[in-house]
Amino acid sequence: MSRFNIVVILLVAVLLGALFSVFTQNSESVVFARAFAEPGIEFKVSGTLDREHPVQYDPEKAVAETRFHMRDKNGQVQEVLLKESKPTGLEQSESIDLYGKVENGRFIATDMLMKCPSKYNEDSHSLAEATPEAN
Amino acid sequence: MDIAYTGEWTWAASLGRLLLALAFAGGIAATIGYTKAVRNNDEHWLKLGRWGFRFQATGLFAASALMFLLIFSHRYEFQYIWKHLNDAMSFGLVIASFWGGQEGGFLLWMCWMLVLVIIFLRRSPGAFEAPVMAIHTGVLTGLSSMLLGLWFGDFQFGLDPFLLLREAPQNHGLPWTLNADYLRLIPQFADGQGLNPLLQNYWMVIHPPTLFLGFASTLMPFALALSGLWTQDHRSWMGRAIPWAFFGVAILGAGILMGGAWAYEALSFGGFWAWDPVENSSLVPWLVLVAGAHLLLINKAKPGTAITATYLMIALGFLLVVYSTFLTKSGILGDTSVHSFVDSGILPQLLGFLLACCALLCTLMLPPGRDRVVFGGLQAVLAVGIAVADPALCTLGLLLVMALAVLRGHLKNLPRTDTESPIWTREFWMFVGGMLMFASAVHISFQTSLPVFNHFLEPFSGWFERLHQSTGSDLARKLAAHDLAPGTDFDATYHAIQVPLAFLFISITAFTQYLRYKSNSGAGLFLKLLRSLLTASVLTAIVSWTYGFEAWEAPRVALLFACLWSAGANADYIFQGLKGQWDHAGASIAHIGFALVIFGSVLSNAKKDIISQNRFGDLAMLNESLSNEEDLLLLQGDTVALGPYYVCYQERRQDGIHAKFAVEYFETLPASYATGQVVSNEGFLFQCTEDHTASPRFTEDLEDHWTFVPIPNERQKTQSKPWSAGKPGPYAFTLEPRIQLNEQMGNAPEPDTKRFWNRDLYTHIKWGRVSEPEADENGWMDGRKHDLMRRDSLVIGRSMLALDSISAVKLEEKPSYGLLDKDLAVAAHFRLAGGGADTNFVALYIVRDSLVIPDMVTLENRGVKLRIDGFRPAEATFETVVWENLSIRRDFIVMQATVFPQINLLWLGCLIMTSGALMAVRQRRKTQRLRPSRQKDS
Repeated sequence: MSRFNIVVILLVAVLLGALFSVFTQNSESVVFARAFAEPGIEFKVSGTLDREHPVQYDPEKAVAETRFHMRDKNGQVQEVLLKESKPTGLEQSESIDLYGKVENGRFIATDMLMKCPSKYNEDSHSLAEATPEAN
Repeated sequence: MDIAYTGEWTWAASLGRLLLALAFAGGIAATIGYTKAVRNNDEHWLKLGRWGFRFQATGLFAASALMFLLIFSHRYEFQYIWKHLNDAMSFGLVIASFWGGQEGGFLLWMCWMLVLVIIFLRRSPGAFEAPVMAIHTGVLTGLSSMLLGLWFGDFQFGLDPFLLLREAPQNHGLPWTLNADYLRLIPQFADGQGLNPLLQNYWMVIHPPTLFLGFASTLMPFALALSGLWTQDHRSWMGRAIPWAFFGVAILGAGILMGGAWAYEALSFGGFWAWDPVENSSLVPWLVLVAGAHLLLINKAKPGTAITATYLMIALGFLLVVYSTFLTKSGILGDTSVHSFVDSGILPQLLGFLLACCALLCTLMLPPGRDRVVFGGLQAVLAVGIAVADPALCTLGLLLVMALAVLRGHLKNLPRTDTESPIWTREFWMFVGGMLMFASAVHISFQTSLPVFNHFLEPFSGWFERLHQSTGSDLARKLAAHDLAPGTDFDATYHAIQVPLAFLFISITAFTQYLRYKSNSGAGLFLKLLRSLLTASVLTAIVSWTYGFEAWEAPRVALLFACLWSAGANADYIFQGLKGQWDHAGASIAHIGFALVIFGSVLSNAKKDIISQNRFGDLAMLNESLSNEEDLLLLQGDTVALGPYYVCYQERRQDGIHAKFAVEYFETLPASYATGQVVSNEGFLFQCTEDHTASPRFTEDLEDHWTFVPIPNERQKTQSKPWSAGKPGPYAFTLEPRIQLNEQMGNAPEPDTKRFWNRDLYTHIKWGRVSEPEADENGWMDGRKHDLMRRDSLVIGRSMLALDSISAVKLEEKPSYGLLDKDLAVAAHFRLAGGGADTNFVALYIVRDSLVIPDMVTLENRGVKLRIDGFRPAEATFETVVWENLSIRRDFIVMQATVFPQINLLWLGCLIMTSGALMAVRQRRKTQRLRPSRQKDS
């Protein structure tokens, strides 16, 4: 067995171990019910912004506190507190991933990822209403 | 019904499609011709191939030229141009609109491939012509099929770059599409939508072409590798592939870092690298290509070493580029990226193309004959399965069969070395380094591909669920949920693995050049490295002391050490090993550049200092919750300490599509205090006993210059300011972080950066008003609710509203307030300080017959209105509503400021690395020029 093969086999072994350990670091995606059932444990909750409630951000009171309502994948709507200043484009977002945990009966998120409408969005400019100019 | 449309370049649409169809047809002919020519070595087939390729190249170049013509003529009847161009765009951006969308991206990519392959053809390809061209024309045919724009019912086969707007599916059947004079009559056609403002940046002009050239340059090594497998000549292709591979390393590396520079300069991700899938998916092919290129070098010196690994690395370089195209264009990444993607409708085509390229590689790995046929058959069955049965399971099966084919090829088909390499040889350590880089690529790719794995996990969900229930395994439950995503803590998800790997392979780049190929040359190695080791140790000590690294950051410090060592050792090698022959120094220079890139990125990222922690400004008693870890609230006109500066938000102004927020920076001077002055420090008050200039810390001054004030009087209490070591000094510079007003995408912040030689000050707006706030006709803005207790205060304009005390209204006072005897009333004694003379006033909370009587207090001249809506006796808290008048309102912004130390080393390293790699390419070409010319003569 050549030295080169030994290197490869060693690397594969180390890599598998590393990937496994990384695997356990990756956060778990859940719905609100689960996060509220296990307060104090960090989860990722995915959902969409509930537009029936306003997004509250008042930097004069608290620079890094944004409150809004999110609808999770089961349709449950919950007010959440994001410990960040209001992310740009929150109102336009298509979906939201919140990273945080439940404390004192409230979901407090420390990090958030959003999916926003695409740069290459086809529908944003429509010619459906186009009419000839009267001249 | 044919309508003759007035003024429309209908002919251009037809011509463009014709050219692309020609390219596609030519490509098929060329692929067939060249493929046959490989086997038969027949002039006729070769001729077919060459003619086919001419048509293909002409078609693609002409289509691109036509696209440019349409862009320069501003033909807005074309959907692609209407979407990505408008009249306001500058010349550079007009060119950039060519690659503003996917169609143009494909065209650009293919044009670069053509340019490279034409260079290849002009350099006497000899026996390589047929197989390399067969692969190239095949790949180009596959890619150009993505631009055919055919519809089979609802199934779209390719995008159509020359689609007229009136033909677009979403406009189908609209009345104006039937109007022959629509171009003149419909106002929307006078101008296009324009490139998304987020992309309107000069980087958009140079970054995509560079990156696409980098992508395209992975094809030539791939094609050469496949031709090696095809012709079962596992040796001669490698020498040829070396310059191409290193060219790819140089260009792709530059392209990736340009993307980083763009993100850093214009987008507010808060840095240049965010381990985002888009960034990762171009980094991964680069890492693999670097590994592959070094394996080629090994094979040049010692033919037949690690052949399988060499084939795999070189081929994966290209396949991963295709994979990343698939990832970023398929919409599959949507949930894990700050970039956003859309399923462009050609997902099945892209997937088919990717799998076909993989299958081709795996087939050719197998021994010729029956194995390839059996494998091909299996692939075909599974491919049909993907289309009609279970896509996830069949793709998984396909990948498994491919892996088996590679394994079988390794065991049965590919040659091995007969001589073992000693440990202290250049090839052994180069191989180890390459494999470590590959490991790094696998890890990054794994994290990026989690959304893809979720699709594969889905069919096994039930099985994992049962496993979880029977064993209670957390991992099984995670797998069952098939909703994996990379964590957000980069230290845990990326750095924990990447830093040790980088430490290892960068250390290897430090000493490997000192070793010789094939002979055990470890003796005296340590002495040769002594200089660079010592220098690096000293520098590392200085760096870790200067930037205050802590014990838990040991891996990071080790990596910094490796970078310094590698840079030093490689520089040393140019003099010690090469005796200053700069022609041969390309590799060393590239290694120095790479070490600097990693050094700069690790240091600037690990020791970035967010200096905008909210500290107390002029208005000393700001609410506690205003203080937080990252963002600073700046009221217009206030001068606030920010790291080593004082900053003052001056004004907002509109400049084109930007709202710019001018923030002035002042140097900090030591504060001076006069006798008798009262300051507060950590809740206690002190009086100055002697005029003095402040030391950096209060404790140093305390004994000599201050006395404690145990019982302060009211005046001392209200007029004391918090102690600070500094005061604003002379004006330094102005930064204008901005918000881009983007109707299409929503407003987006853009940073502004002050560059110093050893650090950058990077600032961006987290929140800012881009238009005047709403107010009623008298200028009163919407009221805001505040819960106030005694001694609470809030900032209103230039003033501070403080609730000094609370008292119950006594019976004898009631008439003076106009109250009835039966009323219950609580009085809140407010004080409005600052921005004029102190004003004291009383607001009442009145309950009459269990009804609350609203009592509005208006201070017209101070621009404040106030009403108490409720009182919670248990907490002694008033629920108040405060209105503010526009006349006293002060604008404010929330800003984040970060110092990135030594980030310029990153950009410098990028330049050095690219030039070093290009130097190496040039040198390789020079030494090789003899061989092909000999071949031509024979």
